[in-house]
Amino acid sequence: MEYAGFDRPRPPGGTLTTTALKILVAGGFGVGKTTMVGTISEIRPLHTEELLSDRGVGIDDISGVETKVTTTVALDFGRITIRDDLWLYLFGTPGQDRFWFMWDELALGALGAVVLADTRRLQDSFPAVDYFEQLKLPFVVAVNCFDGARRHDPDKVRRAVGLDGTTPVVMCDARNRASVKDVLTTLVTHAMNRR
Amino acid sequence: MERDGAVTDEDPGPLVRLYGLTGGRARPPGEAFDLVAIVTTAKMPFEPSGLNPEHHSMLSICRKPTPVADVAAQLGLPLNITRVLLGDLRREGLVIIDPPQTADQTIDERTYRDVLHGIRRL
Repeated sequence: MEYAGFDRPRPPGGTLTTTALKILVAGGFGVGKTTMVGTISEIRPLHTEELLSDRGVGIDDISGVETKVTTTVALDFGRITIRDDLWLYLFGTPGQDRFWFMWDELALGALGAVVLADTRRLQDSFPAVDYFEQLKLPFVVAVNCFDGARRHDPDKVRRAVGLDGTTPVVMCDARNRASVKDVLTTLVTHAMNRR
Repeated sequence: MERDGAVTDEDPGPLVRLYGLTGGRARPPGEAFDLVAIVTTAKMPFEPSGLNPEHHSMLSICRKPTPVADVAAQLGLPLNITRVLLGDLRREGLVIIDPPQTADQTIDERTYRDVLHGIRRL
């Protein structure tokens, strides 16, 4: 039940519930994930080299000397404030295969995902599409139109990627704010309809 | 910073020192928590001693409930390092870390609509 003037249900403690939502931005190497996050983020997006423990890496370690293997991975994230107590975070997922375990963590509880694709290298988007399909996480495929001039046919992309009929395919320019907003609203609407 | 092809003029910062901050640890002590888990500074009778400046900054930021990722952004620290340091504070009982609400559990239609409006308004 909604009452005007009462923004959110308050827990017994009386403090407002605070919520942070995640949207993942996935896709092949160099497809524009960092650009997309940077275009829409209200904070200067963080591009950090993350120190990681050894899960998923170092499986061929035979030295027996150093048991703890660390590595770094680049991770981008940006923020959009929706309300005082509601934030949307965009995480650019690491492109390298050996960091799949990070995807599991990023995807947990996420609102949805954007798979950025380049029509010249559509196959680079297949792993991300497979991943989100298996996870049943709502996602959209956003074709980053680098060239600007060439028009791409969404239906051709849909067939080439092997998407079902409901997953939206949108053309976008990751450098353009209005275009990125369009991608995100398409995703949120899709996620809402899938509930 | 440039090796993955990302063009950035951002100063990568003193990485060696950052890893020194965590004593080389990549995982926080205790139960795992999400990058958007909400961190709140616990009520404490007096300012604890023996903390480093980053810990103090975190306690200050999280007087207002703040997601882990935002603590990292405000301090300009990598996410995982932030998480290790927040884990230290939790172990000492100085912060409370609440798991985030997951989309399928708790996001109602109103929230979705708010998010849509919020994005359109940008």
